[in-house]
Formats: sequence, structure tokens, C-alpha cells
Amino acid sequence: MAKEMIAMLLAGGQGSRLYTLTQKLAKPAVPFGGKYRIIDFPLSNCVNSGIDTVGILTQYQPLVLNEYIGNGQPWDLDRLHGGVHVLPPYQQASGSDWYKGTANAIYQNINFIERYDPKYVIILSGDQICKQDYSDFLKFHKEKGAEFSVAVMEVPWEEASRFGLMVSDENDKITEFQEKPKEPKSNLASMGIYIFNWDILKKYLIEDEKDPESENDFGNNIIPNLLRDKRQMYAYRFDGYWKDVGTISSLWEANMEVLDPENSGINIFDDNWHIYSRNSGMTGHRVGEEAELDNCMITDGCSIEGKVKHSILFAGVKVEKGAEIEDAVIMGGSVIKEGAKVKHCIIAENVVIEKDAVVGVMPEGDEKGVATVGSGVVVGEGAIVGPKAMVSEDVKGGDKVW
Amino acid sequence: MVNYNADSAMGILFPNSYDSLVPELVSERLMASIPFASRYRLIDFMLSSMVNCGIDNISVIVKRNYHSLMDHLGAGREWDLTRKNGGLNIIPPFAQKTVNIYNGRVEAIASILDYLNRQKEKYVIMADTNVAVNFDFTAFLQKHIDSGADITIAYTKEEVPKAFIDIDMTKKDLYYTLDINEDDKVQKIIVNNKDKGEQNMSMNIYVMERKLLLDQIREAYVNGLTYFERDIVSPQLDKLNVRAYQHTGYYARILDVKSYFAENMKLLKEENVNALFSPSTIYTKIRDDNPTRYATGSHAKNAMVADGCVIEGEVENSVLFRGVKIGKGAKVRNCVLMQDTVIETGATVEYTITDKNVTVSSYKELKGTESFPVFVEKRKTV
Repeated sequence: MAKEMIAMLLAGGQGSRLYTLTQKLAKPAVPFGGKYRIIDFPLSNCVNSGIDTVGILTQYQPLVLNEYIGNGQPWDLDRLHGGVHVLPPYQQASGSDWYKGTANAIYQNINFIERYDPKYVIILSGDQICKQDYSDFLKFHKEKGAEFSVAVMEVPWEEASRFGLMVSDENDKITEFQEKPKEPKSNLASMGIYIFNWDILKKYLIEDEKDPESENDFGNNIIPNLLRDKRQMYAYRFDGYWKDVGTISSLWEANMEVLDPENSGINIFDDNWHIYSRNSGMTGHRVGEEAELDNCMITDGCSIEGKVKHSILFAGVKVEKGAEIEDAVIMGGSVIKEGAKVKHCIIAENVVIEKDAVVGVMPEGDEKGVATVGSGVVVGEGAIVGPKAMVSEDVKGGDKVW
Repeated sequence: MVNYNADSAMGILFPNSYDSLVPELVSERLMASIPFASRYRLIDFMLSSMVNCGIDNISVIVKRNYHSLMDHLGAGREWDLTRKNGGLNIIPPFAQKTVNIYNGRVEAIASILDYLNRQKEKYVIMADTNVAVNFDFTAFLQKHIDSGADITIAYTKEEVPKAFIDIDMTKKDLYYTLDINEDDKVQKIIVNNKDKGEQNMSMNIYVMERKLLLDQIREAYVNGLTYFERDIVSPQLDKLNVRAYQHTGYYARILDVKSYFAENMKLLKEENVNALFSPSTIYTKIRDDNPTRYATGSHAKNAMVADGCVIEGEVENSVLFRGVKIGKGAKVRNCVLMQDTVIETGATVEYTITDKNVTVSSYKELKGTESFPVFVEKRKTV
């Protein structure tokens, strides 16, 4: 049975700029927004858009991601024909290779795509927070008679030179592509989300693979080649919320924006566009006698006795009496003990902040560092973790880390 | 086979038992699907306890009002009961001209005799669903085997609950207390005991060999008997080796609206939550709610809150189920608010139980008392 469109989700990113958070897991598996992981967004978008076949291309630290995806049931992607498939590089008759680039990752899975005989393939990125209806995008692609379309966002002109830019005519037809140019001719930034006619994509992937000079990358090779051949290429303007959460500060910021859905544009409380995730299965959270909660999000399994302000707490977080939490992202299973102060920071999973320890401080003036504590770390009694510190190993009681 | 256990057991649950004690709560559902403890249904506790003890062949014999239960259980996936062999088996009454909807366990089990006959498990464990408990079926079964008993009954030591004492006998809901000797052998089963003081209250959890159950039910059915306990076990205490097993852990027995309210409230104490939800996980249907959001200006104190709520007002001493919304300036004290209840701006609600999808309009006041909590029916707007 042929599929109209299937999705290929690039999830191999190491996310090296998230440092300690991605030491043991791939970037798409990084927890986000209280009970999600980053990959829940593109996966839920697929399902909500009617795409029931998704290939997830993994390479870096895939264990957590593999287990998390499982048979795809939480996203309704356990299907008889199609569903979700995790696709690591594998050995073939001609030898085996890591995925050399984004285009090569798809090239190595041409056989997977052919099994579904799709008319269109959408290439997605597993490291963005975005709610997008891909069926609208496909409609645009068809209406334009495009062979390739790319989703673009308008960015402020002064920031445009940080992005890959699409220069297009009044018909949204792409005339030029500029990768991080000094003098931008456009402010339409590529979101790294593409729709291809499968026959075109296949042709260019095979051609690209034969080119020994190629980096096998969509942005650097495939798109320039399409332009060279004057293919039907269009830019699809997207104006919803979109955020690449590739750095500690952008990840922290995006989490904070979840707390402010009225103004930030990222509303995960939308009944018409559910974001699905694998649930913790924990019981309802507990708010104690002395708890103070102000503008925060609390997930199942939490137990709150202290003060929590403008923060996101993931499943099973414990906040003991007298502990203070502000502007913080605290991932699943972490414990903040009596009298500890945790501010303006990201605390990864299963961290213990011992009694009276201090992590981060509220910013003053231009000081905007986000302190980060890696998963499983114990910050000892009375220890201090400075506002820009990144901690991957246990901190002894009374020590200071800046 | 790895992990094969020759002493394996299958489960049978009776989700309609004691329905008549809680008419308000079961007007559109049955005992088993009454929401409890912020995100569960009562049946989740027995079902999860069984699954956690390796029982993966469970039959649920439903009688009436079972749509909500079927919706909740689905194919049993959340309990890991979507199995090729065994798994979850929901058995509605088999509509035949000659067969009436059953009364009592004998007729209920008689309706699945053929099925029961074909199963492979050596033992059968039967239970009602009006008790929320993390029950150790492994220890229960082990004690049964070690003692060489024909039938083992689980019990708790407690005074007969007041709701039982006040029971309306015409409703036919029976409860049982056990006289046991020092070897835990049951000497006598007393029906609807009104005695004061601590009694051995049966939990209506039984284990016996499947073959014995088959034989007993066949005989009882032919003789027109109704109740397993009163008509089968009690008269044969001299013939059958019937033993008792004391459950000493936490449990919440739902007997009426008042106990429903009180048992929810007890879970505001951390030690009670920890006792009920350990050692093993209680599974329930997933709803994919977002985390609960506390707005600026909200106040929450001593509450149990599930995912998907939005709190803008005040909450104190309350249990909130999934998707509850509490508007600005609204005050909620000593309440149990079931799924998707909306308390609008400025409303005050005290000692109240709201069923699913209830709306309390702006600036309305609703106040019950601890002994008589107000109950608002499903989908009603106050």
C-alpha cells in the first residue's frame, strides 16, 4: 500500500552545545516542558497531521531514545503498516558507515522509504520545539507544484546572517540560498524542515553520494544542487512558535516560555494539538502544608513542601521544607533538600541537591548565566554552584564551583 | 519456559460488587470504575496488584453499567494485559432468553464455566473491586499453598464499618466476618455481623484450585444456590480446609459516599500515599494531559493534584483529578473534584464531591459538611 507522505526525522544530533545534558543521551531525548522530551514535538506533529509512518535516524547515544520510542504506542505510531521505526546506521553488503551527513543518513535508508512507496517525504529535525501542521505544508507544496519546499521563518534582519536564508520571488519561488551570509538578501530562515517529491529526492541523494567532494548535507549540497538544476523550489512561510533548543540558555528560555503561553506563543495546553509523551505512571502530585506555588508547572509524582516560583518541575521531583526554587527547570526524579536554594538554572534528572546547598542565583543586571547540573549528580550539603557553572560530577559538601 | 510457574494463578474480578452502596457514584458507572486518588479508577488497584504479582490472565465479569469500565480498560494495554494468551478478558452477561442477569457469584461464575475449564492456571484468585489496595497476591498464594488449604480468604482486622452496620438488608449486599482459630483455620463465616469491636473482616479475596472452583460451582448452580460465601463455603467448613490470610497493609474500602470522601482525604497524608502506592506501581489509563499549571496569585496547600489542572484560585485539603480548572478568586476547601471539573471565578466550594465534567458557576457557593459532603452529579452545572 503506497503512502502519500512519510516522515524522516533526523535525530542523530549530538547536541554538543548542551554539554552535560547530552553526555548520556541524544539531543532529541532531552526532557522538556515538564513531561515531554524534545522529540515528542515533531512526533506529535506527525500524528496530528495524519502522518503514520516515521523513520527516526539515530546515531549518537541512542539507548535512551530507543527505549523511549519503543513501539511508538504513546504517539499512536504502533501501526500494522508503517508506524515508527528507529533507524541506526547498519552494515550492508557494500560495507558499513556512520551517517556522514544529513543527506547520507537518508541515502542509507532509501530501502526503508521505498517499502512505503511514498509520493512525498518530509524531512524533520529532532531538536526543535515547534507545533506545526505538516498537512498545511504539504497542501502548499502540492498547490505550488513544487518538487522541493522548505519551511521558513521570518527573522529580524539584524539576526539574519546567523541562519541559512532562502531568497524567494513574489510567488515564494526560491531563487537563491545563502548559508549564513555576511550580507543577507532575505530574512527568511530555513527551519530545516523539507518536503520533497520522493522521486526527486532519491535522484539527488544517489547523485550526491557519487560525489566524493560532497559533505552529504541537505543545506550544503542537496539544496544548492536543486537550485543549480532550476528545480521547482518553494519557501513555505511558517509564523508559529519555533525554537531551536541547541544551547543551555535557549533550552532554559524555551522552558520558561512554556510558563507564559499567553505571550510566548508556545501553548502545550492546546486540546486541539496534543503533545504526546511516554507517561511516568506516577500518582498525582502532592502539595504540602507549607508549600508556596507561584506561576509554575508541576507534574505527577512531585511532592512539594517548599517554595516554587516561576519554574517547571518534571515527574517525581521532591522539594523539601524551606527549599526555594525560582526560574528553574528541574527534571524528573530530582530531590531538592531542606533549605537548598535553586535558582535560574537547569537541574537534570535524578539530581540530589543536599541541605542548604545553593545552585545558581537570580540574575542581576546583564548577568544572565544559567547554571546547569548534570544527571545523577549530588550537590553536597552547603555546597555552592555558581550562576554560570556546569556541573557533571558530584560536588562535595561545602565546596564551591564557579 | 523461562519464569514458568507451575503454581500460577488466574484472576477473576467482580466489578459490580457493592454497587448498591454508592448509588450516587454509580448512576452511570459501576464500582470498579469509580475515580479514586486523583487519577485512578478503583479497579486499577486490584488489576495492577495482580499484574505486579505475575498474574496475566484476568477475567472481569461485568453485570451492568459497564460502558465506562470498558472504555477505561480498553484492551488492557496500560496494565500490560494485551497478551496473546490470557491477558484481559471482559465478560458481559451473555444475553439469552433463558438466562437472567446473574445474582451473586455462583451465577456469575457459572456463566463462564466453559471458559474457566479451558484455562491452564492451577489456581483461581477472585476479588471485588471496592477496595483500593496494593495487595501482595504472591504472599497470599504462597500461604495458601504452604498451608495446604482448599480455600484461603484474605481479611483485615477492624471494626465492622458503620456503613455496613447500617446496611439495608433488602439490597442483598452481604459482608462477612470470620471466626478463625490459632492455625488461621476458618471456623465460622458470619453473614452481616453486627457485633461491636474488632472483627476479622473478609476482604472478599479468595484463592482456590481452579478445579475445585469448577466442581463447587457446577454443584451449587444445579442446586440453585446464589452466594459463594454463604451457600458454598460456609456450609462446608467442616469438609473443606478453609484458611484465612491477614492483610496488614494499607487499604481503602469504599462503602458509601462518606467513606469515599474520607478515603480520598486520607491520601492527603504523605505516609498514606506512600503506603498505598508502594511497593509496586498502580497502572491506569493514560490521558496525555500536560503538567498542572499554578498561575500567579494561586494558593495551594495540602492537596493531591493530578496532571492537566489549571489552578488560578485557592485550593486547600482537596483531591483534584485530571483536567480540573479552578478560576481566579475561587476557593476550594475539603473537596474531591473529579476529572474536568470547572470551578469558575470567585466560586466557593467546601466539603463537596463533584463528579466528572461538573461546572460550578462564578460566585456560586456550595458547602457541605464533613459528615454530609455535597455530591454533584456528572455533567451538572451548579
